[in-house]
Amino acid sequence: MEYQVYQAADGAVEVIQTPVRFNIEVSEEFRIILKEFVDKGKYKIVVDLSQTEYMDSSGLGAIVSRISATRSHDGDIRIAAPKEFVKNLFDVTNLVEILKIFDTVEGAVDSFTAE
Amino acid sequence: MAKHIKGAENFHNLVPDYDRPVLKINEAGKHKLLEKLIALYGEETGHKYYPELERILKVYYAHKSDKMIVHEKEFEAEDRFTEEDVILITYGDLIISEHDRPLSVMADICKRYFEGVFNTLHILPFFPYSSDRGFAVMDFEEVDPNLGSWEDILELKKEFQLMFDGVFNHISSKSRWFQEFLNQNPEYRDFFTVFSTQGEISPEHLQLIVRPRTSDVISPFKTLTGEKLVWTTFSTDQIDLNYKNPKVLLKMIDILLTYIRRGADIIRLDAVTYLWEQLGTSCVHLEQTHLTIKLFRDVLDIVAPQVGLITETNVPHDENIRYFGNGDDEAQMVYNFALPPLVLHTFQNQNAQKLTEWAASIDKISDTATYFNFLDSHDGVGVMAVKNILSKKQIEDMALKVLEHGGYISYKKEGDGTLSPYELNTTWFSAINRDDEDEPLELQIQRYVASRSIALAFMGVPGVYLHGLLGSKNDAEAVLMEKSRRSINRRNLLEEEILTELENQKSATFRIAFGLIILIQIRKMERAFHPNSPQKVLPLSEDLFCLLRATPDSKEIILAITNVTNHSRKLDVDKQYIGTTIHTWRDLVSNTTYTSDNGSISLALEPYQVIWLKGINR
Repeated sequence: MEYQVYQAADGAVEVIQTPVRFNIEVSEEFRIILKEFVDKGKYKIVVDLSQTEYMDSSGLGAIVSRISATRSHDGDIRIAAPKEFVKNLFDVTNLVEILKIFDTVEGAVDSFTAE
Repeated sequence: MAKHIKGAENFHNLVPDYDRPVLKINEAGKHKLLEKLIALYGEETGHKYYPELERILKVYYAHKSDKMIVHEKEFEAEDRFTEEDVILITYGDLIISEHDRPLSVMADICKRYFEGVFNTLHILPFFPYSSDRGFAVMDFEEVDPNLGSWEDILELKKEFQLMFDGVFNHISSKSRWFQEFLNQNPEYRDFFTVFSTQGEISPEHLQLIVRPRTSDVISPFKTLTGEKLVWTTFSTDQIDLNYKNPKVLLKMIDILLTYIRRGADIIRLDAVTYLWEQLGTSCVHLEQTHLTIKLFRDVLDIVAPQVGLITETNVPHDENIRYFGNGDDEAQMVYNFALPPLVLHTFQNQNAQKLTEWAASIDKISDTATYFNFLDSHDGVGVMAVKNILSKKQIEDMALKVLEHGGYISYKKEGDGTLSPYELNTTWFSAINRDDEDEPLELQIQRYVASRSIALAFMGVPGVYLHGLLGSKNDAEAVLMEKSRRSINRRNLLEEEILTELENQKSATFRIAFGLIILIQIRKMERAFHPNSPQKVLPLSEDLFCLLRATPDSKEIILAITNVTNHSRKLDVDKQYIGTTIHTWRDLVSNTTYTSDNGSISLALEPYQVIWLKGINR
């Protein structure tokens, strides 16, 4: 498994840590994990990008692959600790306007619990 | 009826013929032209520039062949657009080959596969350009040598009507015109909207301006006489032309007529909403902009009545249709911008209620004007048109679903500085279908064809983007490579790759293209699908979109039904909805016959099935 998955905030939030290279070779697995979360009614998700040095379009697509499904159930997919390379991708694709991005995983998790 | 005659050359001579009598503009025509010039520039300036306008028209007229003048006399404006009109939208280089010029490759493919299907080609800007995939034109009067030449355009003209882009709102910063402005050549000093200091534009002014971009509207440029601030609606490479200068207007009319000489049957007025700038206003669809388009229309009515204008204005629906003017004095065709997002909303939610309600409000514009029904184009799916039709949440949901399908969202800055979705960047296939969905490809193709059938049956002229015809999926990687969200549906295709797909009956491309071509060919045979044939929307079920089209004499009726859900549906259509008693109906798509004893019809539709039932009143 390429991803570290764990719960935070007493199980209220799911956290997925992405690998160094988040590309087409691994993005399918990420999509499956997200789909499973949604199928199980887990709609508050943090994507921890702190380890990711490189991401391609399939990685980006995977991150938002359940964005509508989570938000329509009062949840969200929130981003934590993206590196400069990834931040640039968010800029180019305008995802910076859509996703809530936090400097740390704790910040992203807290944003859910503060609601 | 005087439509494009297949095999005919362009009807224009390359050099003017002054042996022939010079064009005489009648008093009514003169009055219309002068009236517009005076309204735009005032009494004195209007009169001053009128003779030059008349000269431009006379020069154009002198290029017409005798054959064309005869041809035009037979022209009836009511039949400018008919059921046979279906427009293929493409870039000149959307299909490329190592062996030939892109325009030549396009001509080969179009003749081989699309003749008899599409009768009109919209070749997106094919002029030399510096950015925005052709929409920052460096020279309005030349063909980009990377694409081909005017001879290639004429070759296409032999088989197809042509739609050219009039990118008249702005010009490239690399153009000679703008370079001469930087040189402070007196002739070009007023070609652009220029300010000397930032103090001339207040923050209040800036806040009022409505634009589809978040970049600065004013861009600084170094000129011979120091820094100048220049109006740039779209980007620093796209410099807005200053139509307050009558010389600019006349120059653009000259170029409009040049395009017609070069083979244009329809001129698409790109981004025309932003044509006039007036500090203290929103700078969108100002009255002067409408007057300018009306002047273009007057010019065409006088010297090229067979040529149509189409406006591209991604604005709320009510404002969009104002570009029809009174139905006879502005654009003959308007992009039906509300249709794509409403069809998308319908299929995303498997519910046709919103589309049905809106469609019921669509009336015929006039005998000479109609809608351009497109679902996709080189840009994304504009959502401005449904701002007052769908709720903010419904638009946001639609955008998020497009994002889930691998698309992107572009925003515009509102007057109050907030951002709102402007367009959804996606191919139509990816908008309608989800790549990672666990469902058969066949179902996705049916869903896709069903979505497109609505634009093919709707009142107006349909258009299909080449990537839409081929069912292309999102090219998300190109967005990152080219740093442009619009690159998602602009991938250049290799000729060999396309030919292989189109020759393989099992390929998805073939099945999609063939499915659409069948519907198009049926449409072209039916007078009830004339762009202005009467249309009635039947609110029979939220699961189905139902249109009743009829010939003007009501002898032929087509009941076009699309199942917008992935479930089988049964439907009873009471004769009260049809308005007449027809006992035998034939589905033009499946060739199935339905009989009815009492005039009502009972139908069963498979998921995403399209039925076009034709009945004949005897």
